[in-house]
Amino acid sequence: MTHDKSTYYLGADLGSSFTKFVVIDDNGNMHFRRTIPTLSRHRELQSQTVAEIHERFPVAATCATGYGRQKFECDLRKTELICASAGVSHLHPVEKSIIDIGGEDIKIIESGPGGEVRHFYMNDKCSAGTGAFITEIAERAELEIAEMSDLARTSQSSRVINSFCTVFAKTEILGWKFDNVPIEDISRGIYLSIVKRIIKLPMRSDLPVLMCGGVVAFHPYLRDLLAGELQTEVQVVEDPQYAVALGAALLAQRSFATSMSEN
Amino acid sequence: MPRLNAQVKLKSILRDYYENLEAPLAWCTSAGPAEILRAMGFDVYFPENHGALLGASRKALKYIPRAHQAGYAGEICSYLTADIGAWLMHETPLTEAYGLPSIPRPDLIVFNTNQCREVAEWFNFFGEEFDCPVVGVFPPRHLEEVTRADIDQVVAQFRNVIAVGEEVIGKPLDPERLKETLRLSLEGTTLWKKVLETARNVPSPLTFFDGTILMAPVVVLRGTQVCVDFYREALAELEELAARDVAAVPGEQVRLYWEGMPIWGRLRFMADLFVEQRACVVASTYCNSWVFDDFDPDDPLPSMAAAYTKIFINRGEMTKLEYLRRMVEEYRVDGIIFHDSKTCFNNTNSRFGLPRKLQEATGIETLSIDGDLNDLRFFSDGQTRTRLETFIEQLTMKSMSM
Repeated sequence: MTHDKSTYYLGADLGSSFTKFVVIDDNGNMHFRRTIPTLSRHRELQSQTVAEIHERFPVAATCATGYGRQKFECDLRKTELICASAGVSHLHPVEKSIIDIGGEDIKIIESGPGGEVRHFYMNDKCSAGTGAFITEIAERAELEIAEMSDLARTSQSSRVINSFCTVFAKTEILGWKFDNVPIEDISRGIYLSIVKRIIKLPMRSDLPVLMCGGVVAFHPYLRDLLAGELQTEVQVVEDPQYAVALGAALLAQRSFATSMSEN
Repeated sequence: MPRLNAQVKLKSILRDYYENLEAPLAWCTSAGPAEILRAMGFDVYFPENHGALLGASRKALKYIPRAHQAGYAGEICSYLTADIGAWLMHETPLTEAYGLPSIPRPDLIVFNTNQCREVAEWFNFFGEEFDCPVVGVFPPRHLEEVTRADIDQVVAQFRNVIAVGEEVIGKPLDPERLKETLRLSLEGTTLWKKVLETARNVPSPLTFFDGTILMAPVVVLRGTQVCVDFYREALAELEELAARDVAAVPGEQVRLYWEGMPIWGRLRFMADLFVEQRACVVASTYCNSWVFDDFDPDDPLPSMAAAYTKIFINRGEMTKLEYLRRMVEEYRVDGIIFHDSKTCFNNTNSRFGLPRKLQEATGIETLSIDGDLNDLRFFSDGQTRTRLETFIEQLTMKSMSM
């Protein structure tokens, strides 16, 4: 064990694509963070990571979130919306609208200064407009994820993918390729289609708009495009892919503090 | 182990009902004029109950694709597609449950489109299959006010049902028997309403999920003494539980209202989830859909026409809003869940802005979840759990801050 007598809290965000771990201390300072694939052939990766965390830190409480939360040994389980609100509020303790684009869904959260969820909206069951959608479409368009944002920035095209269905969207992309649509326009078109799906969800844009989640971490152009569509400033939180896991760790801390005071 | 004695009793009642269905037999929609048929001497079978059974027994997904093959689309009523699919595959859960070789053969089929047009297609399909007469009642739809002219129109159509029924059964309808049947129906439905109203107690002794099971007699045995006796006993049991503040959901912290169809294949999943979250779904439009206050044994046909035309599903948006506003208040609910049932357009009430209007009118928080009555391809356990858990936490936080 490498640390002192401080107490530590683990937040584990078991998302549809990746699992994110965050360890914080009593003051909310982050001491550890790591991302591993959620569904990997190497299932031992998760247990190894957890073992390493416990080896290095005396973890007092653990909170699991994300779609895999039911399958993770922990003291507390909270939804990723509650955790996103807690995590973002730790960094931005104001009234705000949060946009969290994950692997398989989009969440809009109206969040209070202390992290209370006042309202929330999610996309309907179809994954169109999410991280999984981008990955699928980019593959058909033969685009590297890492280059998409830079390519899209150079395009002025208003071409957009219309289909709600990821499979049909791939067919649309095929048509674009047959029509020799430039790769820059395809990149921008993918982002535009996502933004169109976000803005149809109810959201208070009179509040500061903050983005978190793994997708915006890898696709920074989404923020620019969204700010343009919403005609407001949109800020990406620090380490957006860890905001939910951070929130989970904070909730573990709060829960531990409450149980200690009750005892 | 069932929580309520009434749930145990229900099993034998339903066994008796299904095992004793005999000719002359009529099929009827669940909010159709079953009293007329019963008073004429028909045993009455309800295909919607069979549809729900297909969903609850999780057999629906086996049969729905067979109906698609026969030309019925994936977006139409999954009671219809499950039921027709099961028929085309020569199977029914009634065989395993009650030893029936098949669904019972109809001598007459009657439907009422007060719920939806799908019932017309559904029941006409079976009319052709069994080569038996089919009579439809087509009331005015989506009404804010139900006028005398609306009622007269439906009464005229009920008279047509009677005329065809008399021809099939070979004897005239006895008006006294109709009055008596309607009296029993009124008594049964009034007791059912009181059963549901025990959930006004805080904590509630009853959940929506209990209600979806306990409602069977008011659907399939409405107009019989068996139905009346069942609800009298159930009411006594629930009133006693309410008096002792026995909670259906231990530690009830949040009270919810369910709007829309049940998700029959996930009743247990949902019930467990709410218990886990200490949230009780105390009331629903669905269970209250078989409360018919308008029945009047001294004025049978017009009062039945009024009752069956005034059902929630057949009303305009303003009337629905008013109804929900009243229910929210009477049952002291913290939030309302709208089930967007993908194959049930008619009984999905979140698509024309009703949740927002209700929120504006009452301040009540609302949540819409995607799903379906029978077709679980439209339902995701993970997404539903995330939405419901977040919603319940949102309501808990809200109540703590007040």
